[in-house]
Amino acid sequence: MNTVLVVRSLISGIMMGSVYALLGVGFSLTWGVMKVINISHATFGLLGAFIAYTLLHAWSLDPILSLALSAPLLFFLACLIYRFIIVPITKAKEVIVASMIVTFGIAIILENVMLLIWSPDPRLLTTSYTSKVLILGPLYFQYPRLAGFLMSLAGVLVIHFFLKKTYMGKAVRAAWQQPDAAQLYGVNLQRISMITFGLAISSAGAGGVAMAFLYAFEPHTHNLWLIYLFLVVIVGGVGNVLGTALAGLIIGVITGLSFAFLPYQWVNLLTFGLLMVILVFRPQGLFQSEV
Amino acid sequence: MLSVNDVIVLYQKLRALQGVSLEVGEGDLVALIGSNGAGKTTLINTISGLIPAGGGAIMWQGTPIGGLSPDQICREGIIQVPEGRKLFSQMTVEENLEMGAYLPVARSQAEESRQMVFEIFPRLAERRCQTARTLSGGEQQMVAVARAIMARPKLLMLDEPSLGLSPIAAAEIFKTIEELNNRGITVLLVSQEVLQTLTIAKYGYVLENGKVTFSGPAKELLDDPRVKESYLGL
Repeated sequence: MNTVLVVRSLISGIMMGSVYALLGVGFSLTWGVMKVINISHATFGLLGAFIAYTLLHAWSLDPILSLALSAPLLFFLACLIYRFIIVPITKAKEVIVASMIVTFGIAIILENVMLLIWSPDPRLLTTSYTSKVLILGPLYFQYPRLAGFLMSLAGVLVIHFFLKKTYMGKAVRAAWQQPDAAQLYGVNLQRISMITFGLAISSAGAGGVAMAFLYAFEPHTHNLWLIYLFLVVIVGGVGNVLGTALAGLIIGVITGLSFAFLPYQWVNLLTFGLLMVILVFRPQGLFQSEV
Repeated sequence: MLSVNDVIVLYQKLRALQGVSLEVGEGDLVALIGSNGAGKTTLINTISGLIPAGGGAIMWQGTPIGGLSPDQICREGIIQVPEGRKLFSQMTVEENLEMGAYLPVARSQAEESRQMVFEIFPRLAERRCQTARTLSGGEQQMVAVARAIMARPKLLMLDEPSLGLSPIAAAEIFKTIEELNNRGITVLLVSQEVLQTLTIAKYGYVLENGKVTFSGPAKELLDDPRVKESYLGL
């Protein structure tokens, strides 16, 4: 086997995987902490990508800098959605099922809004560094992929740090582990859930931009991303940020390697075959489910 | 300090509390005893705001607190150590204590409270970096009480703090509760350990089927033939 080819596809897999990770952590958090499976998570990621695209073309704003604008916007939007759409369904008997149906509706609405604004044409985030390549000996690093990778790494670390080190982040974990006790010690569950949801959607926006560095996108692309979200979160363990991040990397590496050595049509068969095996033998995910 | 007047709680159509009244004076250690299903936990949770009252009033330092959310009740200084401890089991001892001092007022005194906690429970200082679920039952109960101390309680309500503990660990917890009361914290203690509870309490209430059947100074209750027969097995 060709060592250089293996290393190259490993690197490309890690870069891809890191992006799945950033897109996945928020999905994992809302699922774990709030018992909300947010089908529209990737759709908001796509919205982040489209906002980056528009700002790039209107003001030649770098996609990474566009997050300074889109992240607060998505956070605010998420708070509104939480308050007026998610809160009423938390009173349902089966919150998870109700949340999937409602957020599926949100995804459809958002998808059509994006179709209206941006048309169904596929887009690419073409920046000044799109075609630049960093060459280290036999290895190539495309700048956009590198940007997506670094962004994802930073994003996952920020979320991890928030949960482990800040008071509010600890309250999020406490509310997930023992909602009643958290309330008894002064945690306002609704407020904490709203912040969790806002943070998740903002990170989805960042994940969407990172995805857009790698692949072309159009208003339906979120359906494909969603499948990867489920894959990453189920492998990593619901609610587990680092687990989700690791699962993203693992899946990235597996797809990277199989792209290099298997016929194209086998790649998804392999990854989702693997998902089924994991669901059968470790339905709680590879890593312990903990925030 | 706390007065519960004729409180009714309904679970669907079942009357879990059928008009319970109870008084806790400042600095008191009041015991609430009764068998399983008598409504003790329901009453505590209603005071904490976890369960809405279907009637009656709960007054705290002269103002009604019925209808407030649990985090608002916590803000008032009414702190509960829940039944079964309900620790943040995947967090460390240190983090559990931090969560106890989550609200700004408690947080500003966190350092002092932490010193007090480690003085009362030296063993927790050794275990501070351990995950809560890896502790023994007695240690977990210590963390639960310690977490409540971090919240700077004016009224500390403990629900079955000795449940599932060895007799030695249980005795230690009761000693700690007495000590906390001596330090000026008002205590409402719910327990089925009638003898130990009434021994340290000043006043006691007996709850049966959602009603207070008798109440009085703890010493008198201990001598009461009905208490002796039903709860002490004498």
